[in-house]
This record gives sequence, C-alpha cells and structure tokens, in this order.
Amino acid sequence: MGLNIAIAGNPNCGKTTIFNALTGARQQVGNWPGVTVERKSGRFKHLEHKFDVIDLPGTYSLTAFSAEERIVQQFLLNEKPDVVINIIDASNLERNLFLTTQLIELGSPMVIVLNMMDMADEKGLEIDIETLATLLGAPVVPIVGRSGEGIDVLKEKIVRVATELSTKSRPINIPYQRDIENEIEKISNLVKQSNKNLHEIRWIAVKLLESDEQTRDEIRALNSGEAILKQVGQSIDRIERLFKDTGRAVISHARYGFIQGAVRECVIEKLQDSVDYSRRIDRVITNRWLGLPIFGLFMWLMFKITYDLGSFPMDWIDAGVASLMNLISGLLPESMFASLVIDGAIGGVGAIAVFLPNIFILFFIIAILEDSGYMARVAFIMDRVMHNIGLHGKAFIPMVMGFGCNVPAIMGTRILESRRDRILTVLINPFMSCSARLPVYILVAGAFFPENAATVIFSMYIFGILAAIASGKLFSKTILKGMSKPFVLELPPYQRPTMRSLILHTWERGYLFIQKMGTVILVGSILIWVLGYFPRNVELDRDYSGERKIVSQSYSQDLFKLTLNFETSIKKDRDSYHSEMVEYPASTGYKQLKAQYDSLKSHISEAEASTLFALRQQEMGDITERKWIGRVGKVFEPIVAPLGFTWRESVALITGFVAKEIVVSTYGVLFGVGDDVDEKSHGVISGLRASGMTPLVALGFLVFTLLYTPCLATVAAIKRETGTWAYTFFSIAYSLVLAYGMAFGINYFGTMFQWLS
Amino acid sequence: MFNFRKPQYRVSAENLDDLRLSDLKPGEKGRIVEIGGSDQFRHRLIEMGLTKDIEISVDKYAPLLDPMELIVRGYHISLRGIDAQKIVVTKST
Ligand SMILES: Nc1nc2c(ncn2[C@@H]2O[C@H](COP(=O)(O)OP(=O)(O)OP(=O)(O)O)[C@@H](O)[C@H]2O)c(=O)[nH]1
Repeated sequence: MGLNIAIAGNPNCGKTTIFNALTGARQQVGNWPGVTVERKSGRFKHLEHKFDVIDLPGTYSLTAFSAEERIVQQFLLNEKPDVVINIIDASNLERNLFLTTQLIELGSPMVIVLNMMDMADEKGLEIDIETLATLLGAPVVPIVGRSGEGIDVLKEKIVRVATELSTKSRPINIPYQRDIENEIEKISNLVKQSNKNLHEIRWIAVKLLESDEQTRDEIRALNSGEAILKQVGQSIDRIERLFKDTGRAVISHARYGFIQGAVRECVIEKLQDSVDYSRRIDRVITNRWLGLPIFGLFMWLMFKITYDLGSFPMDWIDAGVASLMNLISGLLPESMFASLVIDGAIGGVGAIAVFLPNIFILFFIIAILEDSGYMARVAFIMDRVMHNIGLHGKAFIPMVMGFGCNVPAIMGTRILESRRDRILTVLINPFMSCSARLPVYILVAGAFFPENAATVIFSMYIFGILAAIASGKLFSKTILKGMSKPFVLELPPYQRPTMRSLILHTWERGYLFIQKMGTVILVGSILIWVLGYFPRNVELDRDYSGERKIVSQSYSQDLFKLTLNFETSIKKDRDSYHSEMVEYPASTGYKQLKAQYDSLKSHISEAEASTLFALRQQEMGDITERKWIGRVGKVFEPIVAPLGFTWRESVALITGFVAKEIVVSTYGVLFGVGDDVDEKSHGVISGLRASGMTPLVALGFLVFTLLYTPCLATVAAIKRETGTWAYTFFSIAYSLVLAYGMAFGINYFGTMFQWLS
Repeated sequence: MFNFRKPQYRVSAENLDDLRLSDLKPGEKGRIVEIGGSDQFRHRLIEMGLTKDIEISVDKYAPLLDPMELIVRGYHISLRGIDAQKIVVTKST
C-alpha cells in the first residue's frame, strides 16, 4: 500500500510537468468516471516509501463551475489523499494562491510547490520562502519543473509531511471580516452539534455561505440538516445586506485580501526593468494586422506538414501492408480463413493504419501549439469567428484539422474546456471534408463534370463548411442551448516546449487512437468482408465462362483468317518479287504488308480484351448483386430511389461507412476493374457513365458522400469524446437525414427545373 | 423554503453613464468598481482575481476587434467585449 498523493493547481501551472518528473514513465491515462476529463495516475518510490500519485485537472477554484472543478473538489473530499501537492506558478502568485486558500481550508496535509522559479526570477520577483511557508502553514518548495531542479527536495518534503502526524493539525485559518466570522461560527456550532465526526467544519461553513450546491446536499442529508440550512439562509441574508454582494463574492474578496497581504510580506519586486518577453512576442503574433496572416500561415504549415510529411511513412505502411498480405497469402492455402485474414482483417486495419503517420504528426504539432502557449492565442484570434456558431475560439483548430481527417480532429476537441463546446464541435466536425472523401469527389466529378471538376470539388468543401456552420447554429439554439460558459481565457506566457513533454503528449493521444480505432475498424472491416464474401457460390443467369469462350473463339477465328490472308498475300507478293539486290523480307512490299497485318492483329486483340472486360464488368456486377452486400444494397434501393440512386450507389455508400475512400474501390469491384483502382481509372469512369447515372444524380451522390454518416473510425472517435452513445447515434442519424434531404432536394428540384441537362 | 437568490443590487446595465471596461482603449488602465452579469460570471471573474478596486489594464484588442486582452494581477487574460461591458471601472493612470 502506497501513500496517496494528489497534485492540484491552476491550469498551466506545470502540474503535468511535475507529475512526469515525479513518476517518470510509470503512469496511466484514463478518464474520470462519467466525464471525458483525463485522469492521470502514476507511482514513485522515495527511500522506503511508495507513493500513488494522481494529477488532478487544473482549476482556478474549488467550486462546481465546471466538470474539472467538481472532480477536484469531490476527489479531495472523498478520497482524502495523504498529501496534497499544491503547485503554484511563482511568476503569477496572487491568482494561484486563491486555490491555495481553499485547499488550506479543506485541511488535507499539504506541500506547496513554487514552480516556475526561473520565470519569477526573470520577472524580477524575489520570494521569501520561509515567510510564505509560515503564512500559509505548509512547507513551501521552490522548483523549476522544467529542468527538474528541486524535485528531490520535494520528494523529501512529501515523505516528511506524509509521515509526520504533527503537520496534520492545520495551524492557520484564512481570516475573514468579523461579521463573516460570526456567521461562520454560528453555522460551525450547529454543524458540530449535529455530527461530531465531520472534519473541517470551517470548510463546510464557508462553503455553505458560498451557497455551494454539493455541500448543501450533504448537509441536507444530516439529522438537523434543515435547521442548519435555515441558519445558513439567515447568515447569507445578513452578509448580503451588510456587504451588498453574494456570500461567495464577499468570501472571495476576503481571500484575495489575505493573499495580497501575504504577497506584500514575502515578495520583493526588485526595482529593475524586467522585460516581458511574452508580451513582446505577442506584439507581433497577435498584432492587429499581422495576427491573422501569421495564424493563417501556421494553419497552412500545420496542414502541409501533417499531410506532406505524413505521406512518406504512409507509402511505407501501404507497401508494408501489401507485402504482409502477400506473405500471408503465400503461407496460407486459399481458403475462407485466408481471405478473412487477408482481405478482411489486414486490408481493413491497413486502410486505417495508413493514417497513423498523419495522426501522430498532427498530435505532435498540436502538442507544440499547446505547450508553447500559442493555442490560447488561437482562441484569442479566432474567437469572434467561432463565437458566431456559439463556440469558443479554440474550436477553430479541430475544425481546420477536419479537412485532413475527422478522427484526430475530433480527438483534438480535448483542447476545449467545456463539455458543451466539445460536443458541439464533435458533432459538426464530420462536415469538414476529410481527405478520404477527396478520391470520391475526384472520381465522380471527373466522370460527370470533366470540364468543371475543380469547381465542383471546391464547392463540396464550401458546402461542407456551410453545413457545419448551419448545424452549429442549429445545435447551439436547440439541443446544446444555454450550457455555454462565459469566455474567460488566460493567455499564459510563451514557453519553449520540451521534447520530453511533446513526445509524451503525442504518444498518449496517438496510443488512444490505435487502441480504440483498432478494435472498431477490425470489427467493421470483417463485417463488410462477410457481406461481400457470402454466399460462396452464386447462381448467375448468364453463363459467363461460356460467353467468354465464344468471344475468344470468334476472335481467334478472326485472327486465324487474318493470318491466313496475310500468308497468301505474302506468297503472291514474293512470287512477283525479282530483285537480287535485297532479300525479300527487307523489301518495301513485305514491310507494308507486315505493318498492315500487325495493325489489324493488334486491333483484334484490343477488341477482344475490351469485350472480355465488359463481360467481366457485367459478371462482377452480377456476382456482387447476388452477394449479401448486393442484397442489402437491393433492400435499400427503393429508399434511395428518390435520390436517383441505384443498388450500386447504396452498396458503395454502405461500404463507404468503413472508410469513405472505399466508395471508390467498391465501384472498382462493381465495374469489374478489381478493387485495386484509383480515382482516375478509366474502367470505373466509363462504368459509372454507362451505368445510367446522370450528372444531376452524380451531384446528389457527391453531396450525400460529403454529408452522410462519418466513417467507422469517426464514429468510434465520437463515441469516445462525447462519452455517450446518445450523441453518437444522434450524429449518425442527423448526418444521414441531412445527406438524404440534400440529395433528395437536388434530385427533386433538379429534375423539376432541369438543371444540368 | 429559503430564498437564496439575492436582491438586485448589482450594477444595472441600463446605467449607461458608467464607464465600462470595454470603453477603455489599448494602453489605458482602470480600477474595477463593480461587475454585473450572471452570478456564475461574476464569481468566475472574482475568483480569477478581478476583485473590486483592482487595477486592470487593456493590453490590446484581437485582430477582429473582439475579444480584448487585459493585464490584471500581473497576468494576461482575455474577455469578450460583451462581457467587458458588464464591468464598471474608473479610469486610472
Ligand atoms: N519556465 C518554466 N516553464 C515550466 C516550468 N514547469 C513547467 N513549465 C512549462 O509550463 C507549461 C505548462 O506545463 P504543464 O505541465 O503542461 O501544465 P499543467 O498545469 O499540467 O497544465 P494543464 O494540463 O493545462 O492543467 C509547459 O509548457 C511547461 O513546459 C518551469 O519550472 N519553468
């Protein structure tokens, strides 16, 4: 059994850095129950003592303002850690000490860590550690978390506090005004009478004066709960009359009063002109005129690096997957099992594994943006734009990332603090055209709008953005109404990110991707494989192999005749050839005849190939039609008929659910080109054109592809980030309905007004 | 049973004569007189150190003119204009 330690502090005070310094690699990342707030735990040893450490979410205060704050408050109250390490940003003492005043009242044994001492030095602040420790009634350890300076001292102090019982009696109280102290006294007495076992009565009394809901609920459950709450009501009324403000505001003011006093006593601002480097950087980076272009440049770079740099390892993985498939197909005899492993499992997971480099690079860049402090500036710069759809400025990043791949983009919504913002961003993210949709656009637009392909494709992107904006507005006015938090954003100083922290962040998020997506994709691709593989033998109406034989025979007859003709002509020509100077085969006559013959011969074999190919297309189409997948497509045919779609489109769209680019390879299979096609294959383009699809229907199909249910990996990401199936199903249903409605509208009005005809 | 909603003694948004934080230009400073708006909003700001009488200086406005960047208690914080409008200040130098 180790001792339990919790790390608490403001956002950005360096909690995670110190947590990492303490625990090294022995840590686990999970979620707090019920919410998607990361829960990090780890362990470390010092001398003969073992410690279990929890990195609590960063909060400014211990109230129920957000999910994070509720978690911290509840953890500290219920789990009663043996030691609380309160991390304080020494360069920003006053605000950081606010949480400390609450922790002091809460009464757990505490070690206070003054982190970022280097920054405090830079600011010209000299802090009297001893005096501060006396004033706060807890040991204070100065540290530079980034370099690890002072970590050993911290460990020692933790052991001391955890083992010495004497430090458990808290020597100091945060003093309030007399009138408030009187009310605290009254409430405390009542609480003490009703339950002798309660600890930290003063904390409870103060919380009650602050009208804290959690505490009120706990008190209500006591025997004389109602009586206590009555007293609380009277006390609050008194305080409000006296101070003309809420109990909570009055108490917060008093806390800051105490803090200001403490800081005045132990901080000397050396009278040197310290340079605020961050502010200097911001003079350029968030400059009125340069801010936006610089931001645009960063976004462009992020995109460019993610997808360009990612394309190299992408090719390697592609090749790796292909050779793995080859290897296994060499090892396993041809069988159902072999096909399941190769086409189902490896093929499906391989299709996703290809995105891994992108995702890791992206997470790495996001880690840089976060650790450097630029992310807060993004929120600052883009807030006005995002505010329009009821979102926080930071939500811009996941939206842009959606153009690459919705999966990392949705996972990137973790940078948003409010759950409501996260859900809203997650829900509208799939409308950003991810790169997997591009091949479909290129194929269909290339087949039906060869002259205006670029315009059509570009409009798809724009249309997606519009759909996202409209849906965002809709959601924030309906299902996600009123949960928005006021925008209060700290702009922390810029920092040079450390490699260690970047790699840790990247790995944590990337690992989650591998773990979660892997399973979902595997199941999904096997399902699609099953649909396409069974039933094993299908009855076809036509005897394709017979037809093929006939075709081949007739062409070889043609060829035979041609050869016969050629030989006769040559014979004739040779007989009339008399020159002794040149051998016959070198004569012009022969050459002419031979050329003629060759060209006719290649004509015939081309015609044969193309007839056989068309036959093969029809056969593959027929086979697929009779497989389960085709039958499913057929089932949906009447439903998609109003959009002008046939069973082929419904099959393509169903398989596209695994990953949208699969739509292209499905068409490849349906038109008998095989699934190893790309969006520029002639076979598919000609097949599409010949299938009777009109440009209007094609446009509807494009819009449907853009809007409909994101791929499986995205669904898994949505489930993960929203934490509920309700939002996941809602997202699926909403996008399906929207896609259907839009495609229907295009087909209906398009037919009516004869667009594109 | 008990009414925990306190009476309206807070700054009224109608009193347009008051100088608001949102009226200050970059480089100008003010002292907080009163914060209006919802309790949740007021408490959040107070807990982040925007207490009465504290000096707050406007560092700059965002490129799209909203939100604004402020310096209070030695750190930088950003508020939207619509929220800054709820904060009554007196100008200081
Ligand atoms: N200069 C300096 N920077 C530090 C120090 N400790 C941490 N940092 C940096 O401060 C930034 C924030 O550190 P984190 O450890 O991520 O902070 P956190 O409190 O976990 O932040 P949240 O996860 O947002 O709550 C990072 O860029 C760190 O590199 C320090 O002692 N000195």
